[in-house]
This record gives sequence, C-alpha cells and structure tokens, in this order.
Amino acid sequence: MSTVRVRDERGAAERAFVAVSETLTGFDAETLYGTGLVGEYRALTAAEAGEDRYARFAGGDQGGPGHQGDPDGDPELTRAVVQLWYTGRWPGLAGGRGPYTVSVRAYAEGLVWRAVGVAAPGVSAPGFGSWTEPPAPLDGWSEPPAPADGAGR
Amino acid sequence: MNQTPTPQRRSQPYDVIVVGAGIAGSILARRLGELGRRVLVLEAGERAADPERAHREALERYLTAPVKMPDSPYRENPAAAWPGGTDVTGLPGGGYRSAGHLVQRGELPYSSGYLRVNGGTGNVWTGLTPRMLPEDFDTEAFGYGRRWPISYADLEPYYRAAEREIGVAADAGEQRERLGLPFPEGYVYPMRPIPPSRLDRAVAARLDGRRVGDPGSPDPVELRVTGTPQGRNSTPDPEYDGGRGYVPIGAHGRPDPASRCAGSATCVPHCPSYAKYTPLKTQARWAPSVTLTARAVVSRVLVDGTGRAVGVEYLSYEGGGGAYGGGSGGSYDGGSGATRQHTAHTTYTAYADVVVLAAHAIENARLLLLSDLAGRSDQVGRNLMDHPVLLTWGLLPEQAGPYRGPASTSGLEGFRAGPARRARAPFRIEIGNWGWAWAKGPVDGDVAELLGRGLLGTELRHALRDRVGRQFTLQFELEQGADPANRITLDPVLRDALGLPRPVATYGLDTHVRDGIAAAKTVSDQIFGLLGAEDRTAYEPAEAWAGRFEHRGRTYAFRGAGHAAGTHIMGDSAATSVVDSWQRCWDHPGLYAVGCGSMPSVATSNPTLTMAALALRSAERIEAELTERDRPLAVLNPGAHA
Ligand SMILES: Cc1cc2nc3c(=O)[nH]c(=O)nc-3n(C[C@H](O)[C@H](O)[C@H](O)COP(=O)(O)OP(=O)(O)OC[C@H]3O[C@@H](n4cnc5c(N)ncnc54)[C@H](O)[C@@H]3O)c2cc1C
Ligand code: SF4
Repeated sequence: MSTVRVRDERGAAERAFVAVSETLTGFDAETLYGTGLVGEYRALTAAEAGEDRYARFAGGDQGGPGHQGDPDGDPELTRAVVQLWYTGRWPGLAGGRGPYTVSVRAYAEGLVWRAVGVAAPGVSAPGFGSWTEPPAPLDGWSEPPAPADGAGR
Repeated sequence: MNQTPTPQRRSQPYDVIVVGAGIAGSILARRLGELGRRVLVLEAGERAADPERAHREALERYLTAPVKMPDSPYRENPAAAWPGGTDVTGLPGGGYRSAGHLVQRGELPYSSGYLRVNGGTGNVWTGLTPRMLPEDFDTEAFGYGRRWPISYADLEPYYRAAEREIGVAADAGEQRERLGLPFPEGYVYPMRPIPPSRLDRAVAARLDGRRVGDPGSPDPVELRVTGTPQGRNSTPDPEYDGGRGYVPIGAHGRPDPASRCAGSATCVPHCPSYAKYTPLKTQARWAPSVTLTARAVVSRVLVDGTGRAVGVEYLSYEGGGGAYGGGSGGSYDGGSGATRQHTAHTTYTAYADVVVLAAHAIENARLLLLSDLAGRSDQVGRNLMDHPVLLTWGLLPEQAGPYRGPASTSGLEGFRAGPARRARAPFRIEIGNWGWAWAKGPVDGDVAELLGRGLLGTELRHALRDRVGRQFTLQFELEQGADPANRITLDPVLRDALGLPRPVATYGLDTHVRDGIAAAKTVSDQIFGLLGAEDRTAYEPAEAWAGRFEHRGRTYAFRGAGHAAGTHIMGDSAATSVVDSWQRCWDHPGLYAVGCGSMPSVATSNPTLTMAALALRSAERIEAELTERDRPLAVLNPGAHA
C-alpha cells in the first residue's frame, strides 16, 4: 500500500471522527483540527470502544463506504467522546480503562476553556494583569444583559 | 530525657542545626548564613537534583493528576510521609473516615495537609501575606484565645524584613486605611499591588459601601473589597527602601527585574512562571556556610545532662528516581557517623550549639514528643489550630472570567476586628477567583453534569460558558482560638515506614468558632443577595465534606486552610507555654521551635508572613547567643580543637 493511500485512509477516518465530533461538541472542524489532537483522539476512542463499536458510532470507512455514524445509538460513548474533547480526560467506558488524563497537551486544549474564554490554568502565561480583562468572546454566544443591582436572574 | 555528653564546642562543624527546609527553616538559615554562621539544614524530604526538570515534572504531574490536590505534583514518599488531600472522607450517615500519615481521633477531622519535600508546604502555598492586626495579639481581651508575649509593635520591623524576603506586593495606604495597620511613615511594600481580578471588580461594583447585618455586632458592617497582600511578583515600587527600589526574584532565586505573575492560575500548588515565592528562592541565596542535607528525617533531639540541646539524631534513607534521583541521601555531615544499619535507613547524629526545629507545626510537636522534651507545661502538641474555612459558592449574574490569575486577589475585611469577636469567631472573606474548584473540584464535574442532562453540541458549549463563566466562591477563614483539647499526640503502635510513631490529631470546633461559621453563613446569604447571585452552596455529597456538623439546627461543613498552628505555643511563663517570645524552648537552652506552632493565636490573617517575621526575630536572638558563646572562647584558645 502506498503511503499516500494510507494517509488518505487515515484522513478519511479522521474526517468521519471530526464530523461526529463537530455535532457533539458544538465546535467546528477547524477548531477541532487546530487542537492537533484529532488523530490521537480518534485512535484512542477506537481503541477504547473496539473497532466495531467505534465504526457504528463514527461511521466512515470502517462502517463501509459512505456509512454515516450513529452517535445517538451509543449515549455512553457519546458522553465519553465529548468529555474527552472538553477536558482532555477519558472518563472510561463500563468495563474499560479509565478515567485518565490523556496528556498535558490534551488538558491544555480542553474545549471547556475555549467555551469559557480563558486559558487552561497552568499551561500558558496569559500575562501580568490578564485576569482583569473580560474573558475572550465565544462565537455565536452573547451574554444576556446583567440585571439591575440586587436582582437575581 | 535523652542525655548525651556535651561535645567539644569548637570542634563542631556547625553552629546551628535547622530541622526542616520549609519557609521558616529556609529563611532562618539564610539570615544566619549571612551573618557567617555555619548552618546544617536537615530536610526529611527529597531534594531535586535538577531543579528545572523537577519544576517541569511537578507541573506535568499536577496537570494530569486524577484528582487535583495541593500535593499532586509530588510523588508519595513513605520515608517522609505527609497527610494527603484525599485522606479524609465524609460518611453518608455523618462522621468521617481517615487514612494516611495523620491518624485522626477527633470529633471532627483535621483536614489540613502539609508537604514533606525540600521547600515544604511553602512549595504549594497560595502566597497570601496579610499582616495580623494589632488587636490580634491579645484576644483574651475578647474573652477567648491566648495573649501573645509580644505586640504588633515588637514584630513590626520583622514584618518589614519578612516582606522583603518573601517579596510582597501590596498597597500600604489601603492596608492602613482599611485595616488600621500601623506602618512606619512612608513605608511602601517592595512591589505594587497585584491587580484585582475582573471578579473582584464585579463584586466591588455591587458591594462597596453597602451594609450587611452581622449576628455578632449591633451595627451593620460596611463592605469594602480590599486588595490582599501577595507573595508573588508584581511591578516593583521605585520608592521602596528609601528610594533604592526592589528587584523581583525569579527562577532559582535569581534577581529578575522582569519577573511578574503571568496569570497562569495554578499557584496552588505550582507556579509555572516562578512568580510566586517559595523557599527554594531563599535557599538559592544561602551563603556557602549553609549546607542542606535532604532525605534526613530527624527522629530525636539530643540534650546534655543539664537539658541543653546539643544535636539531633536523624535517619537517612535512599531516594527514588526521576528529577529527584542521583546522589545518595546518606551523606556524612560531620556528626558522629553511622551508628546503626537498618534495611531502609541509616541513623546518624549531628551536633551544634543551637538546634532549631522548623519542621511544620505538626511535625515539630511530633519531634518534641518523640524526644520527650519541653513537657513541663504539658502544652506540647496542644492548642492545635487552623483556619476552618466555610466555602459558599454560586453564579454571578454576569461573566466573571474565573480560573485566571492568582487564587484570590481581594477580600472583605470588615469582620476581623472589634467587639463582635466576643460573640463569635471573627473571619476574613477571600474572594475566590478559581470558580468552584475548592468546593467542587475541577471543571470536569461541570462538563459531566451538563452532559448528564443530555446537553450536546452548541447547546452544551453555550451552557458551559454560562455556567463556568459565572462561577465564584467566597472563602470565609475563621479564627480558631487556642484550645488545649485540640492536640497532636503520638500513636505507640501505628508507625511510619522508618518506624517512627505516627502523629494523631484530636480536633474539634468550639461554640465560638461554630457561632462564627453560622454568622459567616448569614453574611454570605446577604452578600449573595446584594450580588444578585444564585447561591449553589450545598455540602454534598457527604464523602466530599468530611468536616460536616450541625449547629443550632443547621448543617454546615468546613475545609482546612492548611494553617496548622499552636502546637508549641508561645507565652510568658514556662508553666503555661512551650516557647518564649524568641521561640526558645523554656526547658532547653539552645533549643528553638519555630513556625506557626509558636503562635498563641492565628487571628484571621493567613499566618505565614507572621511566622516568617517570628523566624527572623529568632535568628537575631540566635546570633546574639552565638556571639555570647564566642566571646569567652575567643579568649581561651579558639583553634585548640579545630
Ligand atoms: C494549600 C495550602 C495553601 C496555603 N496558602 C497559604 C497562604 O496563602 N498564606 C499563608 O500565610 N499560608 C498559607 N499556607 C500555610 C503555609 O504553607 C504554612 O504556614 C507554611 O508553609 C509553614 O512553613 P514551615 O516552614 O513551618 O513548614 P513547612 O513549609 O511545612 O516546612 C517544613 C519542612 O520540614 C521538613 N520536615 C518535616 N519533618 C521533618 C523531620 N522529622 N526531619 C527533617 N525535616 C522535616 C518538611 O519536609 C518540610 O520541608 C497554605 C498551606 C497549604 C497547605
Ligand atoms: S497566577 Fe500564575 S503566574 Fe501568578 S503566581 Fe499564580 S501560578 Fe504563578
């Protein structure tokens, strides 16, 4: 098999994983690829779930050409993959390994920090006084107006 | 009592032995080294052979730890164990269960940990450095606690020295105005205050100038968000030291004018950018006459027939690998050499004119008990104190930008002083910048909870922004008065890996503290109202809240602040206290016990700055004693035995 072909297949498998992940996480493909973790997370999820279960979940070539993934059919795996993307931690599947944090990189790229608009604590140096600024905006989200003094929401 | 003949003084290679290389021991050793004294520092824990690598590995271990606790960056070390963050768990039906180094036999758990590695608990501390208030030195006036034999005025110059050594950033004008702290005319801190967090500002906008009722006080208390002095690098104040300025201390104790807190937000337990003070910075500036020997667990203080301290016995063990590996722990330090071989360790002795115990409040007491010393007042190990912490947490109406910057940058200081102390324990309120981390653990829990509700995709993304982005915590740190019933003892049966009896804590909270906690909760409720915040405080599940109790019909739970104190209490009489105002053991010339263990009261200030000031004051006294020793010997033939 040529290396180009291998790369293509891997690319296809990753595209399928990203497609499912986009829907599940609410972050777009560009952001997910930008973490540099797509390949590792796909392989990890496949290894933890087993190839068959993974193929039903993510679709792509393993499920047959053109097969669409069906994450709705596997809520446990869905939650695990979302948890992985959001925190860098694999929460474990019933009877499987875990929980464990994949790596410092995975922790640092946790999507929860993007959602909140802050850097993952401990992995970057946002700079002196950075904590006085508002958190970074989040695409498609706007803060509801704060109520007047003293009124709860 | 363990009696050993007095060795020939001048033949000794060391003037002073310091037991423990935490904040107190490191600072005291530095001062004596500067004065040319030969100091042997014996440290129970591991010392990094490659500090830079150890620094990176510690961070990595913390970031990937299954449960993020203050001691997560460090590998367990059975030879020098410490109470870990997960040692105490609550039981569903009430009560608690404990495991680990510190044996617990009290009504309530003593849930504050410490650390036994080189640098001690000072590696992982938050770095908040407020001074005590003048009235804190005599709470007997308010009907509780114990009076100090010294006053704020006695300690004031040493506070300044400690602020220099630690490198404190704060606003002296604000501290004077808001807290009534007396400073010498024109005093400025080494560095300008750390900027307040966005959360501080949001809270100040809604609270400043508002009043809340305090059950302890007839008049409502005015709220004012006030900056907290911090032992972390900020902008140096050019006016410091009469215009000479100050140069921040950065990595490995090197002067680094550009070093600033970079907002990495993991100061507990590890500052990646070396902006937070740790004792390793002090150690890097030790004079060559200061020697550190790690993996040296002191097991006994040695005294001569008159009760004078002459040295210590210590157990040296082989170390693990990694950045802490390399080199043998059993170096020979000029003592009397190996006396006993054990599978796991070798026993050594070392002699000096002065022995200083600086092993942390609990381990200092354990050492005095192991040595059967200083027992005349029956106060060794007693009066164990902490700052019991009531946490309340919720959601601000707007985005707070949590998980950024130091753990706490401001507080509410109006409940610390005055006659209300009579009715209930006083408290300081810290505004917690790190979401609900202390109360509920990492944000992973929020993700799991929202996922559990079936949220996915964009809905989940937005819900997390809304939920985590608005989180904040109020941390009420209560004063706990000295109570002889709260104590550290030894267990004759349960022993550590070196065969030394383990410490036992018997601990509880008296009515004064419980009334303080109840008052704090009332104040919290009003603050949440003024903030328009949703209160999410719930001390559940039971396992996560070992310190749970009922008081006047309501359930509360507390955590420990890590501020162990009182176990070798200071006083003005040998009959009622363990050490005098210089932290000298009354019964044993040449023996000092330094650290928060000496404090007769912990008041409402995080205690370490006061502890550092006391250590610097003791260094002065030790130097005076050594000078005294040298005088007659200089007339005799000083070189005779060298
Ligand atoms: C999570 C946390 C946060 C904190 N934050 C703050 C804060 O913001 N502000 C504040 O004021 N305080 C804070 N504290 C408290 C502060 O850390 C302590 O007051 C301080 O570290 C005590 O210093 P020490 O030198 O007495 O003891 P330690 O720092 O504990 O050092 C004692 C040293 O002695 C060694 N040792 C122990 N036994 C032996 C033995 N038998 N032989 C030889 N060596 C021995 C230990 O290994 C250690 O190195 C915090 C504590 C914790 C746990
Ligand atoms: S906020 Fe970051 S840089 Fe500042 S002291 Fe804490 S860990 Fe260090």
